[in-house]
Amino acid sequence: MNRSLPRAAALLLAGCHTCGKVSPVALGRCPRCGSPLHLRKPHSIQRTIALMLAAAALYVPANLLPIMTVVELGEVTENTIIGGMLSFWRSGAYPIALVIFTASILIPLLKIIALSWLCLAATGKLHPSPKMLGKIYWFTELMGRWSMIDIFVVGILVALVQLGNYMTITPGPGALAFAGVVVLTMFAAMSFDPRLLWDRLEIYGIDSSTFKKADL
Amino acid sequence: MKKSFSKTKRSMHPWPMLPGGIHRSVCHFCDTLHESAPLSEGMAARCQRCGAVLYQNRSASLVRVTAFSIAALLLMVVVNAFPFLTMDAASIRTTLNLASAARALIEQGSPVLGIALALFTILSPIAMAGGLIYVCGPLMFGRIAPGAMVVAKWLNKTEPWNMVEVFLLGVIVSLLKLAKVAEVEFGMGFWAFGLLMLCMAAAMAGIDRDELWDRLEVAKS
Repeated sequence: MNRSLPRAAALLLAGCHTCGKVSPVALGRCPRCGSPLHLRKPHSIQRTIALMLAAAALYVPANLLPIMTVVELGEVTENTIIGGMLSFWRSGAYPIALVIFTASILIPLLKIIALSWLCLAATGKLHPSPKMLGKIYWFTELMGRWSMIDIFVVGILVALVQLGNYMTITPGPGALAFAGVVVLTMFAAMSFDPRLLWDRLEIYGIDSSTFKKADL
Repeated sequence: MKKSFSKTKRSMHPWPMLPGGIHRSVCHFCDTLHESAPLSEGMAARCQRCGAVLYQNRSASLVRVTAFSIAALLLMVVVNAFPFLTMDAASIRTTLNLASAARALIEQGSPVLGIALALFTILSPIAMAGGLIYVCGPLMFGRIAPGAMVVAKWLNKTEPWNMVEVFLLGVIVSLLKLAKVAEVEFGMGFWAFGLLMLCMAAAMAGIDRDELWDRLEVAKS
């Protein structure tokens, strides 16, 4: 690593979260846009862990409870996320089954795993390799919104299929839980601060010349 | 002759230099401090430590953002006026658009989901496009609209909640789900929404955050 590159926190400078302007953190607020200045996002790890645990807890009812209820000629069918995916798979619509599997099951799970890994690495319980973890973080932030697809599908089906006695679709409690998972993991990813990973690397002494722990 | 004309026009308002000392920028991923140099159009500056993009100078940024945002707002009218999907089943014809999906969720016992859907697919795209026009339009002429700084701050916060492209994929999945039960057809709203998605993406990618704020700061002073 290049030792000559200084880090802003070591000079008590903070880049504004909102507008990017670099100012001394002692100002308290960004002189350009008025947002509060921090060297690191405040209580980043605690907030991320709390939001992520809440998301993980909701992930269980999101998958067990029905996301929608189909009433077809008096016959009631409860649809779960996994059930919906499997019915696409059985009917041979493999690409769509894969899209739903990725967006609804894999991405939330991977996000929870990725965020735990990031938090463990940022607190020094796992070795931080910030280049790779930085990419994982970036990917986590990018992919989060795609999980909303199943909620939108429920909304669309509920709006379209109101055919009186023939067939009606109503949203189920699983949908609310699932939307909760998506929103909570998005907030969790936003509250994580990837700079903590690089801080940790310096605490290990690889690039300690420009960094003092007290500055945090 | 024509080419040189357009070149002068464009370079009339390059990314302005901020007044005062050395300009610095900090990498959001690794907190490395850089002395930022002006870039020519189309170039990007990357962090020397981790390689993340620090800032980039997009060509004709303000014009591009304003144009795409106006297009997005106009498309939003079309999107809300025409159905996305039309379904014929059991001799009943039902149509879908953004508002009807949100309303159905609210009426069928999931008000929270209905409001969330409206926020992510109707309100946030309108707010993004409207906000970008409000901020970038006057900036083209070197002026700053009243409250533009506050609007620009909110644009930042709204961006991740704009889920236009996710909804579009949702429409396609629903269509495949319903194809078994009924005759479903794409409507004008769907195609307009596809274009809206492209316009929103182009508008948001059209200007770098640092450039926007530098321009706001210069215009204010």
